[in-house]
Amino acid sequence: MKLTPLPSPPSQALAVRIRTAVLLVAAACLVLLLRLWYLQILEGDRYLVLSTNNRLRVRPVEAPRGFILDRHGEILVENRPTFDLFVIPEEVTNGPEVAGTLAEVLDAAPGEILARLAEGRERPYQPLLLRKDISEATMVAVEERRFDLPGVSLRVRPIRAYPSGGVAANLLGYVSEVNQAQLVREEYRDFRPGESLGQAGIERRYDGFIRGVDGGEQVEVDARGRVLRLVTRTDPHSGSNVHLTIDKRLQDAAEAAFAGKKGAVVAMNPTTGELLVLVSRPSYDPNLFAQRLSGDEWQRIASDAGHPLQNRAFQAQYPPGSIFKLIVAIAGLENGALTPATKFYDPGYFLLGNSRFDNWKKGGHGTLDLHGAIVNSCNVYFYQAGLKVGIDDIVKTARAFGLGEVPGLGLGDEVKGNLPDPQPRRRGQPGWAAGNTVVASIGQGPVVTSPMQLLTMVAAIANGGNIYKPWVLRKITTTSGEVLEQYEPELVRKVAVNPETLAFVRRAMLGVVEGGTGARARVPGIPIGGKTGTAQVVKKGETKGQADLKDHAWFVSFAPVDNPKLAIVVLVENGGFGGQVAAPIAKAIYQAAFASQTPVAVAATSSSSAKQDEEIAD
Amino acid sequence: MQLDRRYVQYFEWPFAAAILGMVLVGILTIYSANVFAASAFRKTLFLKQLTWLGLGTAAMFAACLINPRTLGRYANVIFGLTVLLLLAVFILGKTGLGAQRWLRIGPMTIQPSEFSKLALVLFLARYFDDHREELHNPKIMLLPTGVTLGLALLVLKQPDLGTALLLVFIAITIMLLLGLHWRYLVPVVAGGGVLTPLLWTFLKDYQRRRILVYLNPDMDPLGASYHIAQSKIAVGSGGLLGKGWLAATQSQLSFLPLNHTDFIFAVLAEQWGFMGCLVILVAYFYLITKGYQIAQDSTDLFVSLVAAGIASMLAIQILINMAMVLGMLPVVGIPLPLLSYGGSSLLVTMLSLGLLLNIRMRRFLY
Repeated sequence: MKLTPLPSPPSQALAVRIRTAVLLVAAACLVLLLRLWYLQILEGDRYLVLSTNNRLRVRPVEAPRGFILDRHGEILVENRPTFDLFVIPEEVTNGPEVAGTLAEVLDAAPGEILARLAEGRERPYQPLLLRKDISEATMVAVEERRFDLPGVSLRVRPIRAYPSGGVAANLLGYVSEVNQAQLVREEYRDFRPGESLGQAGIERRYDGFIRGVDGGEQVEVDARGRVLRLVTRTDPHSGSNVHLTIDKRLQDAAEAAFAGKKGAVVAMNPTTGELLVLVSRPSYDPNLFAQRLSGDEWQRIASDAGHPLQNRAFQAQYPPGSIFKLIVAIAGLENGALTPATKFYDPGYFLLGNSRFDNWKKGGHGTLDLHGAIVNSCNVYFYQAGLKVGIDDIVKTARAFGLGEVPGLGLGDEVKGNLPDPQPRRRGQPGWAAGNTVVASIGQGPVVTSPMQLLTMVAAIANGGNIYKPWVLRKITTTSGEVLEQYEPELVRKVAVNPETLAFVRRAMLGVVEGGTGARARVPGIPIGGKTGTAQVVKKGETKGQADLKDHAWFVSFAPVDNPKLAIVVLVENGGFGGQVAAPIAKAIYQAAFASQTPVAVAATSSSSAKQDEEIAD
Repeated sequence: MQLDRRYVQYFEWPFAAAILGMVLVGILTIYSANVFAASAFRKTLFLKQLTWLGLGTAAMFAACLINPRTLGRYANVIFGLTVLLLLAVFILGKTGLGAQRWLRIGPMTIQPSEFSKLALVLFLARYFDDHREELHNPKIMLLPTGVTLGLALLVLKQPDLGTALLLVFIAITIMLLLGLHWRYLVPVVAGGGVLTPLLWTFLKDYQRRRILVYLNPDMDPLGASYHIAQSKIAVGSGGLLGKGWLAATQSQLSFLPLNHTDFIFAVLAEQWGFMGCLVILVAYFYLITKGYQIAQDSTDLFVSLVAAGIASMLAIQILINMAMVLGMLPVVGIPLPLLSYGGSSLLVTMLSLGLLLNIRMRRFLY
């Protein structure tokens, strides 16, 4: 091995300074040693006493969570006080006797209490939660027998309260204790068992803001656990208030109109993307989670065949049915395959080779132009229009309007739907055929969308092609009202589409409500543009007529047509015809929204708009 | 590399043994600190640390294989890569406890800010070695000052206040060792001391709290005073001989948060008492002074500065952490080298000590 020539030696000064550094380190170590001597030898006994006989106890003081408010400051979620019963196992001098008294007071088996106490022996200094949210009568009984119950204490604690029960429950979410599965994960390493956190919806997504900073009381207690004095107290910092874009008045109207149905209603301001209404049914009562939820109750909710925990507005997807005809029309007007004057003849069916595709109306609509085809939702027209436009441009347009992509609400598990992926026939694979295009043109087959996606789509049609990200959080404020965060509309993109194309589609949608399949949504005095849809539920090997095979009813709409302020999408699972079932729900919301502009008397007569019962279907 | 018999002969076995011994003590302490924890994640932390010990040992011996001069040639590249890693954290970072400090690589998460300490030492050593003829000129300090502050800001943005402060201290120490007069530090300290409280008064209460939590996400919600009070009780109640392993009620029964990371010395002090602390302190003193001795013995400025820089880095961390645990300094998140839980911290410390072993082993060369 060859040695490199030795460079000049570092200055002697460096060696001197290093010696100084060593001396400084030695001095610092000596200081630390002296400090250790002071703490451990001189003061050691005092600290030992503090740590064993006279203990310092930390009692966390739970911070109240922030409120959740609607856009006008109406309270959607608040807190209420509850009383919890605790026991410090170490201080229970006579286990069986205390267990007996407690069992009497709580109306429980003494064995159960004893078992809980035994569990607590592992960590005898930690207060053990015996009962959450006890009734007033129990509280009085415990207070009366205080002297028979050493080590037992009551603590007041704020818990979550949802004044309107299940209203907007899937959006707001719920709060419950951190569970065992979460405690083993790294993200939850700083949670105490029994600590509450938001587990779904807004409560979960913005938990960091809503949750306050817990305070704590440090008290000195004697050997028997009696509090001697308060050493320090750190006040809890209440969580921040979360202001949603939701309008409680409209939400209530939507919930009322949707009563007893399954599905979703979503509404937004089409010029900003602010969500005003979000209903998902079936739902649950979030108050149940805030209190002690028994294992059985949880099982019942979690395994309910109706999936009440799922937010159908963006976590479920359905075939859009005839709503998709809007996309076919836009694609055709844009690529030139269709003009407003393009006519097709509808004899009630369409033959493609040997395959026969029926219209929903027996006997057909006769000859229609594009406007008439949208107003009457004519399937046979769109079978032929779809073939002329071509599947590639249909899919391209659908993507431009946000179908097939996640809307980006950010509340978790958003579905992105599906659009056809037309592949030429390959070996072993059937490939995309003209028949597939026919089916896709009326929003069946591989086309599936979530209500939220159709809402961004219809909002873009209404506002001239702007795709806004749907958003639900307006601002976050401190309890004293200072604004911490403020949110603004977010334009995802502007769809490159001819303004005349959208204007034509809007006029056709106005026709749908004024005298077409969506007439049941008509509110006199308010020009509403809409489109009905009835999505076939396809399940193999089952017979028609069963309740869960009934068609899904859709209605997408916006109003006023020339100056849109509100866009609404209604989906009723297994509801039947969109025009019959979904449109009246939208109508109820429009009435609530524009009530101040519409005289009540006029609104009352509007029920006569159900004139064409036979026609209302598609 | 041709294996020279002198490498084995000059290998500092007691030094390596002291390092491994300390880490094993740390793992025993981590185990005992979390044995009563409710979270299963915490209960198995010591296993994770054992894995990191394996990696760290490999890194320590691997560090012995590189010729220090080669390291000097690539010092700037290493520094550049570390800065890239720090930037990557902002883009790909895994957020933990409100701080974005971690990068996920396969099954591991690493904390690039830890690596920045060693990278800075290498960069400064190379820079001053390149400019060794101009050391009398104070202007030579401008570039390294700027680079250090830039790096510290980047780390502060993670946010990791403890490491950012360390970077500044390391650079100052190296400059002082090179002969920078302490007078130059006076305006810096005075300026900072005047400006910070002035700015502070302009802030609203919740803003202050946000800044504090932002800078130091590990900050205990019950307030630092609580933390220190608990820590002092833990240390003090250890007495002369301690309460014994697994018998430390104060630090094990969740009175003391962060008991396995920044406050691990308190657990140790409660379990092993004054005598145990004495042993730990002596062991650290041995490692630090050995590092400085290695620096003194070397005839090569780069090698000498690397050794002195590593020794200073260790010394600063150990002294600040212990002073914090003993209630003599405010709480900033600085782990105790070799003992605290934390993979990246352990890996970097063992890598750095490996470099010291390396230099020692080749002392007939440099």
